[in-house]
Amino acid sequence: MVARVLEAYVGEYASGKSENAINRGCQLARSGRRVRLVDLDLVEPFYTLRPLKRRLEREGLEVLAWETSELVGLGETAIPLKKEMTNALAFAGDVIIDLGYGVDGRKLLNLVRGCYPTDQEGPRLRLLMVVNATRPLTSSVSLIVAYIQEFGAVDGLINNTHLGAETTVELIQEGAELVTEAAYRVGLPVVATSALRPYARRIGAYDRMGNPVRPLDRYMEDAFW
Amino acid sequence: MTGNEVVAWAALVAGADFMYGYPITPQNEIMHYWARLAPHFGRGFLQTEDEMAAGFAMLGGALVGKKTFCATAGPGNILMQEPIAMAEMMRIPGVWVIQQRGGPSTATVIYSQQELRLTTAGGNGEGLRIVYSTAFHQELFEYTIKAFNRAWEYRFPTFVLGDGYQAKMREAVTLFRPEARGWTLTPAEPLVRRPGIPALDRDPVHLRNTFNIEEELYDRLMAQLAAYDRLTPEVVEWEVEVGPETEVLLVAHGIVARAAKQACAMLNRQGYKVGYFRPITVRPFPGAALREAVAANPNLRLLVVESAYGQLLALVKAELYGFTNAIDTLLKPGVGITAEEIMAAVTARTPKEVRPGG
Repeated sequence: MVARVLEAYVGEYASGKSENAINRGCQLARSGRRVRLVDLDLVEPFYTLRPLKRRLEREGLEVLAWETSELVGLGETAIPLKKEMTNALAFAGDVIIDLGYGVDGRKLLNLVRGCYPTDQEGPRLRLLMVVNATRPLTSSVSLIVAYIQEFGAVDGLINNTHLGAETTVELIQEGAELVTEAAYRVGLPVVATSALRPYARRIGAYDRMGNPVRPLDRYMEDAFW
Repeated sequence: MTGNEVVAWAALVAGADFMYGYPITPQNEIMHYWARLAPHFGRGFLQTEDEMAAGFAMLGGALVGKKTFCATAGPGNILMQEPIAMAEMMRIPGVWVIQQRGGPSTATVIYSQQELRLTTAGGNGEGLRIVYSTAFHQELFEYTIKAFNRAWEYRFPTFVLGDGYQAKMREAVTLFRPEARGWTLTPAEPLVRRPGIPALDRDPVHLRNTFNIEEELYDRLMAQLAAYDRLTPEVVEWEVEVGPETEVLLVAHGIVARAAKQACAMLNRQGYKVGYFRPITVRPFPGAALREAVAANPNLRLLVVESAYGQLLALVKAELYGFTNAIDTLLKPGVGITAEEIMAAVTARTPKEVRPGG
């Protein structure tokens, strides 16, 4: 039996959590797996995966997120959690969670059953921290380390270093160096370097630090609410 | 970066000492980011119990010579008007960043241009403020720096008027230290407890917002108004593309001006004769520049475009008193406006006989 993939994407504001979570979900779905993508970036229900829900469903994902029509009439009601979200992990397939930013985003996992199972045999949710080393507050090894220490335990890092349209392969590789060094200092693995497909192709299967490369497609630019 | 982060970095390099704030979407990350940056750079932050407290605390900070600022939106902007009016009366400098959201009241946390009137003319007075309406992130950065300089140079409340889209969207931006570009930062000086003995070594400082006699207020206010009129030609800013051939002049501010500019370029490529006018300072308003643009062609029609129901339109009409040019509108309160919608509005309203290609 193939092990289920249970991953939550966490990290700094605007580090690329949603884009990485979506791409991971789509990549797993394309390889024939059942995938549920869960939108737990609920600090602002208006800035999340909602506009992409239909498109992702067409790609074969089960998407747990609000529909625009469901939000009409709610007003500004703090954090509207769908009741299905508390059972997000109860699914016979892979579950990918897109979490809101920072420590407060992480706290939402307290409302999801089975995130921290006492039974060590069962599959466990892995928290993957997405790091864009051009983001000012995660732009050096010591800042990344400080960010992880403030955030609390995670299971791995993803180097998502880019500068939008001004990205270069060298910039991504330099990000890989910083993220790998930070990961080494706190004893964590680097799960991947993620990069838009044209850059990923030029970098190859592994970045210069030996981390596997995940090609990304752009979804979030269509998330015009 | 998101626009909110850009503002926090701009305040940092502009020499802001202290932010007083109260959370409200869509400006929250300005506060979050400032609160994270401030300890690393010896700056301060206090979350007050509401926006009125934040505004008054800002004035206190400015009185003792600190550069203070705040960011707010919507209902927070309303509450902030009382301290802002006091700042106008007492000539206490301060910078307010407004990320407009839908209104009236709580409405939406998302976007609008419905705080134009409130920001330029809110408060019980004459609206003696300087208000910059930005359109993209580089401007958010540069006009936030400029706002600090203007506020402490002229001692009038100064605003950066953004919106929820600018707050949340991501765009490349070049951050820099103002000094590296030869920009001088206006120093902040204590307004009270200055050195020397009052009346002997220097004039006493007598900052007031209360007057017993009508004429006393009148004299003070007329002096303030005269000071405001003097600064107007120095601070007023705009962008214009117009010529004697122009048949339709698009008028928009802020992020909608960005769509208008794009629509203008695309329509001109299609053969339409379209111009563009954007006030960058929405207070003081570049009225003379607008009148000059409209005078380019007596048959020119205006198309005023805004994510509000006639707030910019009212300012435009006031400035064009006596002109007979037709004014069309594309008014969509609380929702975004794309370049394509503006193009459609222009082409639909251009009579067939003057359409390019017949």
